[in-house]
Amino acid sequence: MKLFAAMGMAACVIGWTGLAHAQAKVCEKPRQMEGFKTCADVAKAEAEGAFVLYSTDPEPGQAKLVGAFNKMFPKIKTTYFRLQAGALYAKLLSERQAKSYLVDVVQISDMGMILDFQKKGGFTQYVSPEMAAFKPEFKSKPEGFWTWGSVIMGGIAYNPNQVKESEAPKTWEDLLDPKWADSINVKVSNSGLQHGVWFMLKPILGDDYFKKFAAQKPRAFDSYVQQYGRLVDGQDKIIMGAQYSGYLEFKAKGAPLNFVFPKTGVPAVSETYGIVAEGPHPNASQLFMDWFLSPVGQKALADALVLHSPRDDVPPPGGGVALKDMKLLIPADWDAFQKDRPSFAKEWDRIVGARR
Amino acid sequence: MALIPTGALRPRFNWQPVVTGVVVLLVAFLVILPLVFLVEESLNTGDPMAFPPEQYGIANYVAIFDEDINVLFNTLIIAVMATIMAILIGFTLAWILTRTNVPGREKLERLMELPYYMTPLVGALAWAVIAGPKSGFVNQLWKASGGTGNLVDIYGYFGIAWVMALFEGTVAFVMIAASMKSMDPALEESARVMGASKFRTMLTVTLPLVMPGVLGATLFVFAEMLGSFAAALVIGIPARIYVITTAIWDSTLSYPPDYGRASAMGLSLFVVMFGMLTFYRWRINKGSFATISGKAFRPRPMDMGKLSWLLLGLCCLYIFVSVVLPIAALLFTSLQRFATVILSQSEFTLANYRTALSLGPVRIALVNSLSLGFGVASVGVVLMAVLVWIIYRSRMVGRGAVEYLVMFPQAVPRLVFGLALLWAWLNIPIPIYGTLWLLAIAYLTVMLPLGVRTIAGVVLQIDKSLEECARVCGAGWLYQMRTVTMPLLKPGLLAAWLLIFMACVRELGTSVLLMGPNAKVIAPSIVNAFASSGTELTAAMALIQTATVVVALIILFRLSRGATRELQ
Amino acid sequence: MSTTRIEISDLVIRYGEATAVNGVSFTVGQGEHLTLLGPSGCGKTTTLRAIAGLEQPASGSITIDGRAMFDGAKRINVPTEDRGVSMVFQSYAVWPHMTVFDNVAYGLRVRKQDKGEIKANVERALDLVQMRHLADRGASKLSGGQQQRVALARAVAFSPTVVLFDEPLSNLDAKLRAEMRVELRELQRRLGITAVYVTHDQEEALAISDRVVVMNVGVIEQIGTPEEIYNRPKSHFVADFVGSANIIKGKLTGPGTFATEGGVPLRVTAPHAPSGAETEVALRTAYIGVAANPGDNQVAGTVHQRLFHGDFVQYIVDTPLGRLIVRRPPTNLLAEGAQVTLSFAPEHCVLLQV
Repeated sequence: MKLFAAMGMAACVIGWTGLAHAQAKVCEKPRQMEGFKTCADVAKAEAEGAFVLYSTDPEPGQAKLVGAFNKMFPKIKTTYFRLQAGALYAKLLSERQAKSYLVDVVQISDMGMILDFQKKGGFTQYVSPEMAAFKPEFKSKPEGFWTWGSVIMGGIAYNPNQVKESEAPKTWEDLLDPKWADSINVKVSNSGLQHGVWFMLKPILGDDYFKKFAAQKPRAFDSYVQQYGRLVDGQDKIIMGAQYSGYLEFKAKGAPLNFVFPKTGVPAVSETYGIVAEGPHPNASQLFMDWFLSPVGQKALADALVLHSPRDDVPPPGGGVALKDMKLLIPADWDAFQKDRPSFAKEWDRIVGARR
Repeated sequence: MALIPTGALRPRFNWQPVVTGVVVLLVAFLVILPLVFLVEESLNTGDPMAFPPEQYGIANYVAIFDEDINVLFNTLIIAVMATIMAILIGFTLAWILTRTNVPGREKLERLMELPYYMTPLVGALAWAVIAGPKSGFVNQLWKASGGTGNLVDIYGYFGIAWVMALFEGTVAFVMIAASMKSMDPALEESARVMGASKFRTMLTVTLPLVMPGVLGATLFVFAEMLGSFAAALVIGIPARIYVITTAIWDSTLSYPPDYGRASAMGLSLFVVMFGMLTFYRWRINKGSFATISGKAFRPRPMDMGKLSWLLLGLCCLYIFVSVVLPIAALLFTSLQRFATVILSQSEFTLANYRTALSLGPVRIALVNSLSLGFGVASVGVVLMAVLVWIIYRSRMVGRGAVEYLVMFPQAVPRLVFGLALLWAWLNIPIPIYGTLWLLAIAYLTVMLPLGVRTIAGVVLQIDKSLEECARVCGAGWLYQMRTVTMPLLKPGLLAAWLLIFMACVRELGTSVLLMGPNAKVIAPSIVNAFASSGTELTAAMALIQTATVVVALIILFRLSRGATRELQ
Repeated sequence: MSTTRIEISDLVIRYGEATAVNGVSFTVGQGEHLTLLGPSGCGKTTTLRAIAGLEQPASGSITIDGRAMFDGAKRINVPTEDRGVSMVFQSYAVWPHMTVFDNVAYGLRVRKQDKGEIKANVERALDLVQMRHLADRGASKLSGGQQQRVALARAVAFSPTVVLFDEPLSNLDAKLRAEMRVELRELQRRLGITAVYVTHDQEEALAISDRVVVMNVGVIEQIGTPEEIYNRPKSHFVADFVGSANIIKGKLTGPGTFATEGGVPLRVTAPHAPSGAETEVALRTAYIGVAANPGDNQVAGTVHQRLFHGDFVQYIVDTPLGRLIVRRPPTNLLAEGAQVTLSFAPEHCVLLQV
């Protein structure tokens, strides 16, 4: 009897600690840095001396973001690498297969891929003190595997020098007007945002919508930089699913652009960040996450890439509309979103005349 | 009077078999191993990322004909168009510069090499700006002078072929010019002596004699065009025209990456190219890989009279179209705030250059490319010199096989080789994937044909008896290589070093798949910038790269001229 | 110490399908100058290079100073650099990237002599060829004749006992060739070198050799001293190749008598025991007189053509023996069409072996 009791107690203790491990908590005494709290060992992070980010954001923007981090911690040299979501995820998986652990933190704009990576054990769990400020729908359950770094939304953009405001499209349905044939551009199927646009608009606008949209012969590009560039120099007239942050960025540089928020709503997805398991600089990664997820880091993100923060206490970036003032269409079931990807990719490639 | 007898020769260790063995094994490892991986992956019909493959089959090959038949179609059409244009341009220029008395011939011949240094990537970017629809420079001028619609649209089959022909067709010029130069002038002279007119001589004597050279160049250029990547990437993709190389690239960049399909496509392309190059070698080159063989005569140039100014104009037009215009277009673009050719909207600034040069990764990429060029060239020439000696001078059994091995990478399109290396090193348990070491290995391998060909040209001119005499005087193999062979090879080694260095800095196809965050190199960085940084920044980066190569070129040419003067 | 320096035995050398040297045997004595003579393709250069180790024979043996350098049966093949023989190449093979001094010093440096010894030996060698004053000149700046001397100096600098010569004079013009011939012979005698010499120039071979080996399509036709080869050629080939000869066809009718095809009886000499099947007699053009001489063979003829060669005059004379070529000193020239009586001694009518 006593033996059973002892074993039972032992089992409980083991089980309890096991559970406790799964429900990791923030560290006991987070250190207060300039503007953010951290659980990372700063000395160790600086000793590691380097930090590598993979992200889908355009390179100049990434450079500014990690540059801001480097300014605060000059001993930590920062490097980044950019590819569109599908390509980035493909590369990430390939590297892990080769047992090449080159990256510390990864940002992918497709939640399906994020969830897939989590299932594969690709993320390491680190609970940052800053994560408390994020609503539960913006972070992993249990928290610490991944967190939303920003929210991106896609509307309609056009060049007022090429398209008169009176004639410009105001709704998604307006884009089906034959006069816009051969002058609309979109993102490639690798893009998380484009997937979000498809996933959210299809049920609302009907299956037919995208079939008719295909008749407009849209051209697909890898990055919003190309899309907006073509708008500015007149090669295209309209962007469908235009990334709002791109609009703000180009407008700030003085480009002639207008942005439309259709009444139906703007599909939105997240740019999600997480620390990669077996990364080469674990302490620097933790320090980065703490900095990045804090108002200081989120502001740096806004300065670098004009992106919206999921945090309530961070104002919208440069002259942009606040999140709460937009009608955001965010996928509710990320699992369904993930499962939808292969059929989306196939259909979308057909629509834009890509290979398959 | 007798000479005082000297000491006998001490017995020495014979280094020749050891060095030979090591070198041959190394080359086999570099060249064959990745291709083995590629073949295996192309037969993978299960999960494309699994290694070793779970299922084998030829489904990938079948699928090419099922789903990607238009890709094959595109590749063929564009390659044919590009080849025809390249041969026409090459033939015309070669004839003008070797057979007529156009003024400034020597200078012009030098200038003809410039488009090669421009790199097809930079050329494609430039022509996209020049001849883009609606807002390219040409169309802007057209609209301004009252035209409607587009005069030209680079985004089409012809556009891609045009850019390929301009920048990758220099090879055609070099080969045809060489074949024209190696014609014995006495053959034409005897026709003239018998009363044939200039024109009749050209038609009945010159043309038939030059034909084999032209056909050879055609075959060679066509094979190269099949594997071309840069123009198809920059101009083809926006035009929704995919060729095999861009299809392969695309396969590896989507999620999930389809390495099986990519491998199958790569191997198919390789087999076709290999077949053509083998045919070329067998029929036209009579078994040698040297594209230029035999003595070069100095044929007497024909006096074209007033016509020679027109011909000069043609040459200048070519240089304008392939060098001056693209550089000017890129310069203009790089100085703008927005890449817009709509002049009313443009604002000018030097900010792009500041950004480009301050962007850590651009600087690092440039430094990496230069370092790789330096390292690979230096190690490469030594390795290649030994290889050349083994193939052309030793009596080693199987040296023909070594020549084949070394020339192999020429038949593999760079991108496909990059893919093979990618897949091989993803699965070999030595973690060099994503590092500069992998790029160094890749570069060394793909540069083997170039270096060996260059050095071989020099070796074959060295009288064998110079080396035999050293052996007769008692020198062992290593001593002979060090004191006689290597010094005599100096001009060839220098030339090979230069060519390899420049080829490394320009390299795109192999590097684009093997780059990592710590292993950025300049040409793929420009491609990335094109996608994510806007045309103005890309233009600035492209010009910086071109300028770097040109400066390096000038410095090295000065140095080499000094060194070869010693040997004169 | 044996007196035989080099021994070649049943040497066979093949190039792919073709056999370049087909069973060649000869010896070279100490201090002897032996020449391999023959037309191009006869295998003489191949044989020479095999002695140096630059060609790989299929079978046979090569022994130098009692040391087996190559033995097909015993699978011995000493590499070139260990054989200790020296060679002068047809193209001189003077290294253009070195000075004259460095060229000559090469073999000495390989043998790791010290600086002082090297200097002494190089200067001695250059003195032998009168090139000491050009010791510091770059080798690429020399004329053909000068390069030849440097090649020679280099070959003897490390005091080899055997020197091989591969047509060393064939790239020089006629006058220089004649001069160098003499110098070479002098040098070889003075240094006591054993020389194996290859040439296609039969005049040269006869002038400077102790013995001559006449080769044709990979086999030896005849070995002998120059006088033997010239005066008693064994075969049609030797008679034809060496010197200038008339070949008269006919039948042996008795010991020392020969009936020509034209029916003219001749008294002839047979250097070997005749088998009776011999059908040719060789008569040197230089041994025919243009006056009657009853003790010798005589035949009447008409001068068909006369060519004045400077040092001699050549007549083609129509006779009952056929067209004979006659070479005479260049005086008392006969006119074309003149009648003449030709006379030649029996010992100059050599019966050729079959």
